Order: sequence, then C-alpha cells, then structure tokens
Amino acid sequence: MLVLAISDAHIPSRAIDIPSKFKKLLSIPDKISHVALLGNSTQSPEFLNFLQTVSPNISIVRGEFDKSSIIIDTHESNGGSGNYEEKNIPLVAVIKEGDFRIGCCNGYTVVPKSDPLSLLALARQLDVDIMLWGGTHNVEAYTLEEKFFVNPGSCTGAFSADWPILNDSISNNITDIETNKKDSATESDDITQSEDGSEQLENNKPDTKDEEQEQEDKNATLEEESLNEEDISISEVEISGSNVPSFCLLDIQGSTCTLYIYMFIDGEVKVDKVVYKKPTDE
Amino acid sequence: MSYSESVEQAISNIKQQTVLMQRSLNNRKLMDALKFTSAMLTELRNPRLQPKQYYELYIQIFDSLTILSAYLVENHSNGHHLADLYELVQYAGNVVPRLYLMITVGTSYLKIPESPREEILKDMIEMCRGVQNPIRGLFLRYYLSQRTKQLLLPGDDKDAIEFNSQFIITNFIEMNKLWVRLQHQGQLRERDQRTKERKELQILVGSQLVRLSQVVDDNLELYKVEILPILLEQIVQCRDVVCQEYLYDVICQVFPDEFHLKTLDSLLDTSLQLNTEVSVTKIILTLINRLNGYIERIQQNNENKETNGDESKSENVPKDTFERFWKHLLKLNEERPDLSVQELSGIILSIMNLSLTWYPNNIENLDQLFDLVSQKCKDFGEEKIDDSESFMVDLLTAQNLEIVKDFSVYYFNLITQCGSFQTLLSLQSSQSQMEVLTTIINSFLDRIMSVNLKQTEDHNESPLLIISKTQLERFLAILEPMITLKNTIKGNDEGDETIKREFTLSRYQEKLAKICHFLIQRLDKSVFKTIESEIELLLMIKNAFHKGGKNIRYTYPAIIANFWRMIRKCSIYKKRIIKKETYYDNLMKQIFKYISRCISDMFNNCGNSSMDIIYKLNLQNAALADQLSLVDISYDFFSEAFGVFEESLSDSKTQFQALIYMAQTLQKTRSLYKENYYNSLIVRTTLHGSKLLKKQDQCRAVYVCSHLWWATEISSIGEEEGETTDFFREGKRVLECLQRSLRAADSRMDNVESCELMVEILNVCLYYFVHGDEQNTHVGVSYINGLIELIKNNLKSLRLEEEQRLSEIDATNKDSNDGTLGQTYNKNQYVMGLDGTYIKLGNVNNSSSANTDFMIKDMKINDMIQVPIMHFNRTCEYILNQRDIDNRFKTVVL
Repeated sequence: MLVLAISDAHIPSRAIDIPSKFKKLLSIPDKISHVALLGNSTQSPEFLNFLQTVSPNISIVRGEFDKSSIIIDTHESNGGSGNYEEKNIPLVAVIKEGDFRIGCCNGYTVVPKSDPLSLLALARQLDVDIMLWGGTHNVEAYTLEEKFFVNPGSCTGAFSADWPILNDSISNNITDIETNKKDSATESDDITQSEDGSEQLENNKPDTKDEEQEQEDKNATLEEESLNEEDISISEVEISGSNVPSFCLLDIQGSTCTLYIYMFIDGEVKVDKVVYKKPTDE
Repeated sequence: MSYSESVEQAISNIKQQTVLMQRSLNNRKLMDALKFTSAMLTELRNPRLQPKQYYELYIQIFDSLTILSAYLVENHSNGHHLADLYELVQYAGNVVPRLYLMITVGTSYLKIPESPREEILKDMIEMCRGVQNPIRGLFLRYYLSQRTKQLLLPGDDKDAIEFNSQFIITNFIEMNKLWVRLQHQGQLRERDQRTKERKELQILVGSQLVRLSQVVDDNLELYKVEILPILLEQIVQCRDVVCQEYLYDVICQVFPDEFHLKTLDSLLDTSLQLNTEVSVTKIILTLINRLNGYIERIQQNNENKETNGDESKSENVPKDTFERFWKHLLKLNEERPDLSVQELSGIILSIMNLSLTWYPNNIENLDQLFDLVSQKCKDFGEEKIDDSESFMVDLLTAQNLEIVKDFSVYYFNLITQCGSFQTLLSLQSSQSQMEVLTTIINSFLDRIMSVNLKQTEDHNESPLLIISKTQLERFLAILEPMITLKNTIKGNDEGDETIKREFTLSRYQEKLAKICHFLIQRLDKSVFKTIESEIELLLMIKNAFHKGGKNIRYTYPAIIANFWRMIRKCSIYKKRIIKKETYYDNLMKQIFKYISRCISDMFNNCGNSSMDIIYKLNLQNAALADQLSLVDISYDFFSEAFGVFEESLSDSKTQFQALIYMAQTLQKTRSLYKENYYNSLIVRTTLHGSKLLKKQDQCRAVYVCSHLWWATEISSIGEEEGETTDFFREGKRVLECLQRSLRAADSRMDNVESCELMVEILNVCLYYFVHGDEQNTHVGVSYINGLIELIKNNLKSLRLEEEQRLSEIDATNKDSNDGTLGQTYNKNQYVMGLDGTYIKLGNVNNSSSANTDFMIKDMKINDMIQVPIMHFNRTCEYILNQRDIDNRFKTVVL
C-alpha cells in the first residue's frame, strides 16, 4: 500500500506548479492508495484535481493558508454533472494503513514550530505510530521514542517565511534511521544526533563565508564601488528560504514502512530510502 | 443497331462482340472485326447510363479497342494501310462508334513513323465536336486524350511543345464546356443529381490539366504567357461554382509550386472574379498550402547545403509574397463587403499560416491581419461576433496551425509586439476571451514548467524574456479582461450556482496568480539589473491586478510572495555589498510598505472571508521583518495582526487557531526584545488566549502561550540547546500559564473534556521537565505529581460513571466483564485533536478528512471516556520509558 505524503504546494500564491517530473512520477493511476495532503495546498483547484487523479482517497489537513473548508468539483473527477461539494478541512487527521496508525497535521498550531518534543506529544495524543507533518518546506525524517516522524517538505519548493535554512544539503536533516534505532530509544540521543548535524553545518559555513567576504572586500578596495547586484548570483534556494521541491511515499507492508524521499535537484529527481519497522509489543 | 436495355446486358454484349472481333482478326477479316467493334461501341450511345455505369462500359471497350489498335499497327505494311482505313471508318453509321473507331485508327496511324501527325491530330480533335452530348462527349474526348498520350508531336522544340499544349488545351476547353453544360440538362428539380454526376465526372476534365502539366514540364514562360491565361479565362467565363472550385484546385495541385509563385498575382486576381458562391477560403487555402510546400522545400535545401558545406548559393526567399496576399486581401475585403467575419477569418488564418511559414519572425504582418479582422468585427457589430466565437478562438489561438512549433514563443511575440492582437481580443465575448487567455497562459506555464529554460538560455537563445516596461504593459493589457472578470451573480442567489461561478472565477484567478510569477521570472536581467527596477515592474503588475476589485484576494498573495522574494534578495545583497547596507535597509523597508499597502487593499476590498488570510499575511511579514532585525516594521505587522484579530475574526474556531498561530510566530522571533516589544506582544497574546469564548479554547491557548516564555533553539541561526546561554526564558511565567490553564481545564463542566485537557497539560509539563531543572522551569516533580494525582482522581470519577453505564449494558447483555475497563470497546477508536475535536480513525477507503463532519452526538459516552483514559495511559508509559534515560523521571509518581 502506498501513501503519498505531500505538503505546502502554495499554488498559485507562491509557485506555478510542482515540477513536471514529479507529475510524471505521480501520474500512474491505481498505484497510490492514499494521499495525505499536509496543508497549504488547497488554493489551487487545478492541483487538487491533479491529486484526485493520483488517488481519490485524500486526507486533507489545514495549513495556515487554507480556508476552513474547500469546494471540490466532483464533476471533473467523476465525469458527473458538475457537482460542487463543500468539505471542512480539519487540523489533524488519523488514517490506518497496514499495522500503522498515521497522524497527519500541518503543524501550524504546534508550538514551538516543528519541535520534536511537541510533535512527540501530539503523536502520543493522537496515538499514532507515524506522524506526518508539514509547514517547514524542509524534508525531514527521524525516529523518536520508537515513533516515525516524516515531513515531506514542500512539493514546489515554495517560498518559506521561516528563518531561512542556510544549508541546502538534505543529508543533515535525515538522520540515519538504521543507526539511530539501535541506540536511540531515547529522545536525548536523538537531540544530540541532530545537534551533531547542525554543528557540522556551522563548522562549514563560516569558512566559506569568510572567503567570500574576503573576496568581496578585495573587489571593493580594487574597484571602489564597482560591485553591483548583477555581479552576485543568488540561488533559488537562498531566495525561497525553502528546500528543493520534495515529497514522500510511504510503502506500507504489514508492520514495515519503507519511506521513499523524492527530491528535485538541478532538474533531476533523486530518491532516498529509509526503512522503519513498528516495534513489536513487549 | 441499338444498345442493350441494362448494364449487365451491355457488358455481356461487349464481351461477346470482343470475342467475335478477335476471332475475325485472327482470320484476318478486318472488315468483320470493324463491324463487331462498331456493334460493341453502340453500347456507348445509351443515354440512360449513369456516369459510373458509362465508365464501366468505357473501360471494357477501351481494352477491346487496344487489341484492335495493336492489330492495325502490326498490319499497316501488309495490306491495310492506315491512311485508307482512317478514310474508311468515316463511313460508320452512328457518330459515337464512328469517332471511337476513327480515333483508334488515327492513333494507330500516329505510331507509324512517316504518318502526317499534325494533320491527323488536328483532324481528330476537330471531328470530336460531332458529339455534343455531355457524358458521351466527355468520354470520347477522354478517349482521345488517353490514346494520344504517348503520341503527340515528338521532340523538345518549342513548336512541338506549343502544338501539343494547344492540342490538350483545346480538348480541355471543349470538355469543360460539356461538363458545365451537363449541369443545365434535364429538369430543374434534378439539379442536385446533376451536380452529383458532375462531381463524378470531374476527374475526366481534371486529367486534361494533369496531361498539360506533363507537357509543359518546367517551361514557365509558356505556362505564364500561353497557358494559364487561357485556363483562367475558361474558369472565369463558365461562371459555374463546381467547375471553378474544382479547376482552381486542380491548377494549384498539378502545376509546380514555383509557377504559382511567379503567377501569383493573376491567380489571386482571378479568384476575385469567381462566382460569389465559390468558397474563397478554400481556394486561398489550397494556394497557400502549395506555396508553403515550396518554401519548406527551399528551406530544407538551404539547410542541407549548409550542413554539407555546399558553397553554392542558398536560394533566396522572395520578400513580397505576403505583400501580394495582403493587397489581394484588401481588394477582396473592399469588393466583397458581404463576406462574413467567419469567412474572412478563415482566409486570414491561411494567410497567417503563409506569413509564419515564409517570414517566421515578422510579427508586423500578423499585426496587419489582426487589424483587418478587428475592423471587420467592428463593422459587423457585436451581435454577429457571438455566433462566430469558435472560429475567432481558432484565429486568436492559432491552435490548428502546424507551422507554429512553440506556441509560448508565438504568443509571447504576439503579445509584446502586436497591438492589434489585443484590440481584436478585446472585441470578443467574455467567454471567448477567457478561452483564448487560458490557452495562452497555459502555453507559458507549460513551457516554464516542462523545459528548463535556463538550459536553452545557455545556448544563446533567450526566448520569453521581457525586455521593456512597454512589453509588460502589453501583457497586462491583454490580461485585463481576466483581471476584471466578475462573478456576475450577486449574493443571495441559489447556492449551487453561486458556488459554481465562484469556482470558475477562482480558476481564472489562479491562472493570473501563476502568470504573475511567470512575468517576474521572465524579466530580462540584462535590462532590469537592479532590485529597484524589478520592484517597479512588480508594482505595475500589482496596479493592474488592483483593477480586479474583489478578485485581488486571489491574486495579491502572489504579488506579496514576489515582494518577499525581493526582500530576501535584498538581505543577501546587503550582506555582500557592505557599503550599501543602509541603502538595502531602506529598500527593504520600502518593500514592506508596498506589501502593507497590498494587505490593506485586500482588507478594504475583499470582505470578511479573507480576514483570516490577511491576518496570517501580517504575521508572516512580521516574522520576515523580525528575521531582518527590522524591529519596528515587525512590531507594526504584529499590531496590525492584533487589529484584525480583535475586530474582524469573529468565529470562535478561527479565533482559536489564529491565536495559536500568533504564538507560534512570536515564539520564533528574536529581534523584538528591545523596547519591551516582545513582552508586550506575548502578554497581549496570552491575555487574548485567556479571554477566548470557550473554556477548552482558553485552556489550550494559555498552555500553548507558556511557550512564549521559553525560547527554543533555531539551529539555522546557530542557536543550540545547551550551548546558547541567552535564550529568552522565564520559568516563573511558564508555570503561571500552566496554572492558569489548569484552572480553565478544571472549570470545564464536561468532565471527559476536562480530564483530557488535564492530560494535555501534563504533557506540556513533561515537555518543560525534559528541558531543565525546577530552578529554571519552575515546573518541578511536585507540581507534576500533584497534577497526576488530580488526573487520577478525576479519571476515577469518570470510571465510576462509566461502570454504571457498563452495568446497565451488562444487565441486558450478560457478557463477561473481567473488570478491565473498556475492553469491550475498541479502545483506540477515538482520539482528541489539537483543537478539541474528537477524531475518529479514518477508514482507508473513506477519506478521513470526513472526520470533521462526524458528529459528537453519534458517539457513545463510553467511547468518549476512553479518550482521556487512553491518553493518560500513553503518557504514563512515556514516563516509564524515560526513567531508563533520565533519573529525574523516577521521582514522578504514577
């Protein structure tokens, strides 16, 4: 059973569409049994219609820019007589697939935002094994307290008003689950792990920054005020403060969940795989 | 001799006579053979035959006559001199058999080298005049033409060719006359039948032109001076629609396309003189297709030469072809004011096709064409245009033109360079306009999403780049009908219809929002070098969208998002170009002001349904400004948000969610500490939380607000739990919030919900417990233990209630109840969500988003009781697990 986790499209306010290569990947009918739409993706009827073709089972949760209800045009998906149905969008939803209970939320009402402990409390409240959330535009996957946390990022790489992510390497975000599982029945371990990640990040960053700075200082002294905006190239990721477009597929077989992370990097789709097994009782 | 009654009889008679003829020939009895032949030819005299039947007989007879002809040629030198025979057959009784025999003998004679060819040919064609019945005459002349195919004057000298072509032309003219005359035979009511028959026979006439083109070969001079004028004269003179349409088409098809190019003017002029019923569109279309074939071939050749490194000169493309068509078009438009817009647009579409094929980069031509149609549309007035929608859409979108390989580039050029395109579009009905605009916008969006445009740019191509303000203005002018599109049905109308209209409207507005991103992305960076220039253009788009009135609720968020991107660019420039720091600070402030203007436009125009979005846009701006240390701006956006919250968000559910979002945003701010901004904002938030309408909302809002006094790490700015020492943290206030929250939970009358709230508070307490010791967080073991005790007591009374109910059930249903509560129920069926709604586990096959529609009244009280109990159990389990890692948890008493 495949569950598609997709979030923060922000179409049309911040993005035109998802990458066409994503569309191609997802346009295989009857492959995906459930879509978890994790917020900020309901402003575009066109995009919703596309998701309808991916799977008619869509669980939508509300992001900050979703209205409290949406109108669905049942006409296009069913070839019916142009019926428009109004549906409320909840803050959280719980679905069951295989042996897993899966919680979905956008997380814009989770404080502090994207905080692992807060998410853990929510997972406990909802009694779920897998917690899908969104809102950060930044793909993430980790286990904590034997629960699996997945954020599929933004499927369009849309602008994010959060603090910009300075590092665009994804590997820091996805902690190696396999090694994690062995010695991480504890949340404190997890925190140190992710701290390690950010430490590396911080170590790398200042160096390159300094170099650039020096370079620019030199330029400035050599050619006075000659450095113009056009001399500086800014990558899309820097502007959007978001990560590359991404989404996740959860392949659920009994008590095993294989997570596939799809990322759109430099015009190509890259896939990462992570396996999570539901801990057996006792 | 007479002919048979039926076709079958005729065929068998022909077969029979053929056999007899062959037998006579074998016995060298030529006279007998001719007699049988004559008998067989009599069948062709039958006036009742349909063209198809006649053709059948003709084929049979043709074959038989071929046998005879072969015999004649063989025996020319031994006994039967063909000159004599030619005389002899003149004595056959009936004219049809006589002429067939004459042609057979005559053409056999032509095969003999020393025969007087010219004389014979002239004589034969002269004699053919003897048959004036259309069908019989046509076939007879067709026979003549078939028989003489290889036997006209030999050689390539001028005279021979001229003679041959004259021979064919004469035959053609006569055939054409017969063919046209057929129309006027018989009764008037059989006219359609006649037309049908004529269409069946047209190939006979057309074949003459095919023959002619073979004779003319590549002799342009001859064609231009001697042949075409005569042909055209015939076509014009006959004034017959079927004839004119068919023959014009055949001329276009059979003669080389270079010829048409050289004789274009006379071809076009002639088309003006045709019967008004003739479809001019069709004629022009055929001609243009031929000419396009020509140019494509030349281009192909030129390309091949280039790739092969051939030095020989590339052929030039004549420059005036469009001009000539254009002049023709003007004449046509003048002389035929009766032409409908539909017909005219058909012709214009063809000429567009020509222009795009011949001069792909010439947009002016198209501009002229669109201008002409616009004039025509204006002349005809509005009502007529409505009928013509679909072809107008075809004309404007050019979707059927195969020559357009990349529509995005085509439309882009039209929009940016072709003013009358917009004029014409603006004359159409709203529905057509939307259709056209949607097609256009989609082509851009598809292009930008599917191809990596950057890659093509590297190859020195830079399509779809906006290089001037004027170009952008034109884009916006084109889009205006979509921008100002109204939801025509005003309030209070039938719900379904309103929703439907709104839905359609939103789809168009979605396109606009997307095209805004497209336009900003496609600004030519070599022209618009600075952020300032980009801002100016974005403001142009904003002002255009402003005309949409209420529609800006769909389009402004896209404008704002683009402003945000510019702000972030500024912040990056600011870091890199140190000398201009203040410049960029001011620029960013300016952009925030523009955004603020956008938001207040939305506030003033969009009504209540957009307040939630406006509120959140304010908060996101506040967050962005905070990240850039633009403290006052950030504060201002926060206070704007409060204003919206206090005055415009009335629904309690919306208020609750909005307030939590405020808390989430504030919790991530870092620059507001100065001037006590942060403190006043968080106090205000908490206060609002404690004043929410419902107790459960109060409770949740306040425990969420406790986080406002407990900053957590933001790793992307280098903060780290345990390392960073200057986090904003006030444990005392945290505890106060939790206590206040607990009071609210306690005063909630619904005891199930009250319990659940307490369990939630317990979880928040555990959050702080993990985060530090009591001296920091003020949330210590004793407080937690007290809370657990309280929860246990409350749960006990809940269970009491449940047991009573269970025993009631047991009274009727004596199932075993071993004392463990809730085992007879599905324990995990319900949980409580973030906002206090009960959530039922979504069924896989049944979209779980439906669970909001699920009603509490459908729930059994026992199911409800399980919610806090199970949540508490899970929390206890968590505490137990934590004992392995953190010794402090061992002090928590369960």
